[in-house]
Amino acid sequence: MKSFSSRRDFLKWITKLCVFSSGMMRTTFSFAGDAQIKIPNDRKSTVVIAKRPEVYSASGELSSPIVKQMLDAGIIKVTGISDVNKAWLSIFKPEETIGIKVNAVGGISICAHHEVAYAVANSLISAGIKSYRIIIWDRLTEELRRGGYTINRDENAIRCFGTDGDYEREPETSGSIGSCFSSIISRHCDALISIPVLKDHDLSGISINLKNFYGVIHNPNKYHDNGCDPYIADLNAHPFIKNKLRLIICDGLTAQCNGGPGFKPQWAWKYNGLIFSRDPVAIDQVGYQIIDEQRKIKGLQTLADAGRFPKHIQTAAKLNIGIADPAKITTVLA
Amino acid sequence: MQAVNLFPHRAYAAEPEQLKEVMFYKKLPDLKVECEICPKKCKIADLERGYCGNKENRGGTYYTLIHSRPCAVHTDPIEKKPLFHCLPSSLAFSIATAGCNFECRFCQNWNIAQYRPEQVESTFMPPARIAQMAKEQDCQTIAYTYSEPVVFYEYMYDCAVEGKKAGVGSVMISNGFINEEPLRKLSKQLLAVKIDLKSFSNKFYKDYCSGELAPVLKSLQVLKELVMWFEIVVLVIPTLNDSPAEIKEMVSWIQKNLGPDVPLHFTRFHPMYKIKNLPPTSVSTLETCHKIAKEAGLHYVYIGNVPGHPTENTYCPRCNKILIQRMGYAIMKNEIKDGKCSCGQSIPGVWKLPMKL
Repeated sequence: MKSFSSRRDFLKWITKLCVFSSGMMRTTFSFAGDAQIKIPNDRKSTVVIAKRPEVYSASGELSSPIVKQMLDAGIIKVTGISDVNKAWLSIFKPEETIGIKVNAVGGISICAHHEVAYAVANSLISAGIKSYRIIIWDRLTEELRRGGYTINRDENAIRCFGTDGDYEREPETSGSIGSCFSSIISRHCDALISIPVLKDHDLSGISINLKNFYGVIHNPNKYHDNGCDPYIADLNAHPFIKNKLRLIICDGLTAQCNGGPGFKPQWAWKYNGLIFSRDPVAIDQVGYQIIDEQRKIKGLQTLADAGRFPKHIQTAAKLNIGIADPAKITTVLA
Repeated sequence: MQAVNLFPHRAYAAEPEQLKEVMFYKKLPDLKVECEICPKKCKIADLERGYCGNKENRGGTYYTLIHSRPCAVHTDPIEKKPLFHCLPSSLAFSIATAGCNFECRFCQNWNIAQYRPEQVESTFMPPARIAQMAKEQDCQTIAYTYSEPVVFYEYMYDCAVEGKKAGVGSVMISNGFINEEPLRKLSKQLLAVKIDLKSFSNKFYKDYCSGELAPVLKSLQVLKELVMWFEIVVLVIPTLNDSPAEIKEMVSWIQKNLGPDVPLHFTRFHPMYKIKNLPPTSVSTLETCHKIAKEAGLHYVYIGNVPGHPTENTYCPRCNKILIQRMGYAIMKNEIKDGKCSCGQSIPGVWKLPMKL
């Protein structure tokens, strides 16, 4: 039996015990869910890139049929299943509610294209998922509207709305993060698809997949110090994300290599690509390299030289969220 | 400052014409800005917000999103702030908006302070309306409170100006984490200030508040220099900031730098927000803090959140007579006449609303 010399000692011991216990819970959570993203034993990951220069017309209009074609090619490659519907159903089950977390924060010029999000939703429907089981969402309804999305809360069609004020009432802890999560991720969705944008970020270097989840908590403004590290990684280690995220489709149709997260036309370029992975970290690593390559083309410093090395990628790998080592990431074209 | 209607489609507020430019910030290259209201000095890229979450850079101009958008409006006894030496038994028209420049893990009002404006319900109440309502409800002051008024600086400033015109004073209930220039400018509009001194340890400020101690101490010194009436509150949290050595160091700094007459309130912690694993502060711990402060020579030391405790009362430092007897927020008696005890001892404070605010 542990003895305490004073009430103060007892309280300190209790505090330590609680901290220890929360760490234990975190470890346990990471085993939940059959269909969650798993890091294979050989610890390699695949990132699939589907590029189609013709996805934009000469007048700059986005072609929905070509987006669909890219999506089909990507999902086939990422799953290794040649039948598109079966490929989707290898990741998602018909009885699941699937949340498509887009990034609409940058306004219509640099957000996840609604054409991509709806193409994903329609592919799921074609594969046998009921439309009411699909929610396209981000933090604010207003931001989605600005991004060209059609807001719908009725269950007779694909739903699309923001969290707005609908957060859990109590904060959840994950490492350095202590936040209330959107009820969309905590209560409504069984599985997640992340559709981030391929873009630069003023503080974290890049804002691709891992940072997309800043849009699921009530207080992202508290976690921007030190290039958002270790906050981004800690957030992604939370079971709501780690256990539910099944697929990432990064929208690189229009990308931005500097001046993010807001749209800066001088630094935006048509990458004409969608990037797929089931590894939340590997996709950021590949996206980071694409952005750095474009920075060189534009005569800019690398992100590391500019003091914005995206540290969160390595931190996320250390937390076993995915693979950051480029040598262990296979990039495949679709 | 002119209200603008820049990007109505981007405005979260229902009345986008109320979007107002931040008073203290500077523009940086590449459409970035640096906020100069508080010592965090957030550097903010286009479309991003600062740490407080209620100001946004839109195309290189920094806007407050919560001007005229309070999310909490109440009429409180001024003792609730607590301000014990400022217009006792008067009412304070109390307002707050979303946001804070700290993230205290024990925040008592985290449901508004730690949220962003679009995540809380708010109403449209421009400064003139606030002043009018304060007057209508017989409030002698407008209190900027509950969350952190430093982060709704522009709204507070404008309300204080309107309040003055209506004959209503203003009191700021703050963490004191504000830069000197905005503090000096604001103080001309204020009647009194309450500062939360979270601890006397910078590590505590960093680990439990995401803040820093030194700027808060600086603010206290500036208030002293400005001859602004202010009181200090210390929320005593078991094991985290209640060591007698730390309290001793704190009160000795107060005595040396601010003098013996600044009222010091030790208040009781209740488990909240991210610190729910600790019990409420024991009364004996608060009494120990009180004893240390009195022994250091401070004249007006109070224990808060323990209704009925004898240290809620104001005693004359010369004859030890009870001058103001309190029970919670209620005043049972007030025997201060013209700012003095019957023994002739002056009791510092704001005992009546100045004719000219």
